[in-house]
Amino acid sequence: MRALKSWEGGLALVFVLTLAWNAAFAPEFLTVQNQINLFQLSIEKIIVALVMTLIIINAEIDLSVASVMGLSAAVFGYLVNNGWGGGTAIALCLGVGLAAGLVNATLSARFGIPSLVVTLAMLIAFRGLARVLVKDNSLGGFPGWVTDLGQKGLVGPVPLSLVLFVLLLAVLWVLLHRTGFGRQVVVIGTNAEVARFSGLNVGRVKAVLFVMSSTVAALAGVLYAARLGSVRGDSALGFELDIITMVLMGGVSIFGGKGSMAGVLLSILIILNLRNGMALMNITGHIQTGVIGVLLIASVLLPNIVSDLRVRRARS
Amino acid sequence: MKTTKLSGLALAAGLAAGLMGTTALAEAVTAAPGAEVNAVLLPKFLGILPFDQANRGAQEAAAELGSTGTLEYIGPTPENSAAGQIEMLTTATTQKQHVVMLSNNAGDQIAPTAEAAQAAGTKVVTWDSPIPSGAGETVFIAQVDFGSIGVVMADMAYDLAGGAGEFAVLSASPDASNQNAWIEAMKETLKGDKYKDLKLVDVVYGNDQSEESYNKALGLVDKYPDLKVIMAPTTVGIVAAAKAMQDEAMCEKVKVSGLGLPAEMVSYSLNGCAPQFALWSFVDLGYLTYQASYAIATGAIKGEIGEEFTAGRMGSFTIEEDPGRPGAKRVLMGPFTVYTKDNVEAAAN
Repeated sequence: MRALKSWEGGLALVFVLTLAWNAAFAPEFLTVQNQINLFQLSIEKIIVALVMTLIIINAEIDLSVASVMGLSAAVFGYLVNNGWGGGTAIALCLGVGLAAGLVNATLSARFGIPSLVVTLAMLIAFRGLARVLVKDNSLGGFPGWVTDLGQKGLVGPVPLSLVLFVLLLAVLWVLLHRTGFGRQVVVIGTNAEVARFSGLNVGRVKAVLFVMSSTVAALAGVLYAARLGSVRGDSALGFELDIITMVLMGGVSIFGGKGSMAGVLLSILIILNLRNGMALMNITGHIQTGVIGVLLIASVLLPNIVSDLRVRRARS
Repeated sequence: MKTTKLSGLALAAGLAAGLMGTTALAEAVTAAPGAEVNAVLLPKFLGILPFDQANRGAQEAAAELGSTGTLEYIGPTPENSAAGQIEMLTTATTQKQHVVMLSNNAGDQIAPTAEAAQAAGTKVVTWDSPIPSGAGETVFIAQVDFGSIGVVMADMAYDLAGGAGEFAVLSASPDASNQNAWIEAMKETLKGDKYKDLKLVDVVYGNDQSEESYNKALGLVDKYPDLKVIMAPTTVGIVAAAKAMQDEAMCEKVKVSGLGLPAEMVSYSLNGCAPQFALWSFVDLGYLTYQASYAIATGAIKGEIGEEFTAGRMGSFTIEEDPGRPGAKRVLMGPFTVYTKDNVEAAAN
């Protein structure tokens, strides 16, 4: 009973309902291939959402992730089309992500500019770089092994990207909920000043998170390029909103200090399954967006209404 | 309805190729009506008139053929077009749809998904905009010969600019393979001696979004003060550009042309902002696409070069090699119509 009252409990209930709804009305829903497709069509976003969870719990935000994805994809396309090998290109893309993270970390953790401002600026700057590199073209012609890894199954029908997602989920779950670093992330997110006076190296924790975020985003950018087989200057444009949405719906507080990997995982599962179910029922794009939108508004309003009611009840 | 039918060199060549294909095979195949064909009509995105017209044509053909299966008209939102199309083609494959009719807006990014669909038994017939490499595509239903569109665009620019001067192209998205092919064909045509005083100064992209296209049109006239013509080979771009020139009271100086729907262009055509533009019938394109898809899905034809099939009220058509895409196949609909103030009102109704 108590479990149901928690945010995660509510999400689990919604998730089960979504599964039941899909299974009942979309006969193809429970096939293995559909289950894999459902993840693979959004895999890059959900990978980045995992790190975003830690960032937001830390009371920061990284709006630049989608632009880093786009930049990384653009760098990959550019390098491969200028005679570089696929492996070297991937390594350089991860390097680009690392560097982007260092820029975010330096400006926000070192100079104390709010991450909202810093990463908003970088959202524009990195996207600009990506567009300069690719211009109005569409760059393809990747090595066969890259597109194979992006599109085909690695372990049976399960593609590499899904394997990476599961690994990253496990690592970050342990990191957030079972290590000292994870506790520091939460404590700093709850109150950075108190954490600083308690002797925690606030700047270092934040720097690690920003570098982690951008590097993973760069990896996701390469995965995106490999899955689609070509890149454009607007690759991954606007993904940051979907990513942040997944995290917030997972019960992570935008003010920091609160949230769990379990909640975010459930939120991801709900959104992906809902979209997939609606698609299988031939519900068109505009309505899908609308339904997800309503769900989000509800998920933001509901906790506020509930806590408001509790306060009122306590007063009366 | 008075229409001016253009027959550029390339169009003539295309027709000749079509006729030769006809003679190669003895008789056109007619698919047996009443089969269960589950089909999806997947436009670039929902919410603009030409795709709705294509759907009307497809529904008409489905009713005529008496398919006992379903015909879904679904599409992504404009801002999510490429990713949305990939997702919807994947879903259609999962649903084991017999055929997906795709107006591709994802360039070659959709090729892996189309190949996976074919491997799982879902045919992919493209219309309006093909898969550039042809990978994963059974056949492309071409509205008109892509080369001939290039000639018509060059000729309209030539006429409106008075034979000399600067003009620019306002296209859809950089990954729209139909528009890209037309612009390339136009550039080829421009190499001809007739067009030597005509200068193409820029190609910009409004991504088939009205506001973006409107702003790109304004950007062009700011950047090129001597610009005489904006050529927009997209029904969204041409309306936006014409409105931009009208709002800025620049229609005397800068003429808008390209591919537009008479219903949306009639006022701009009459007030001189867009004196000349072209298009084909999207209703017919949807109709022919469904007819071909039905014949392919029922196995009446396989989608091989040289096969001839009947398409209801439109007569018979032959699958041929696509001259613009080596190794890929097309069915050529054609011809198209050039609209002026003399015939636009009749067509708009």
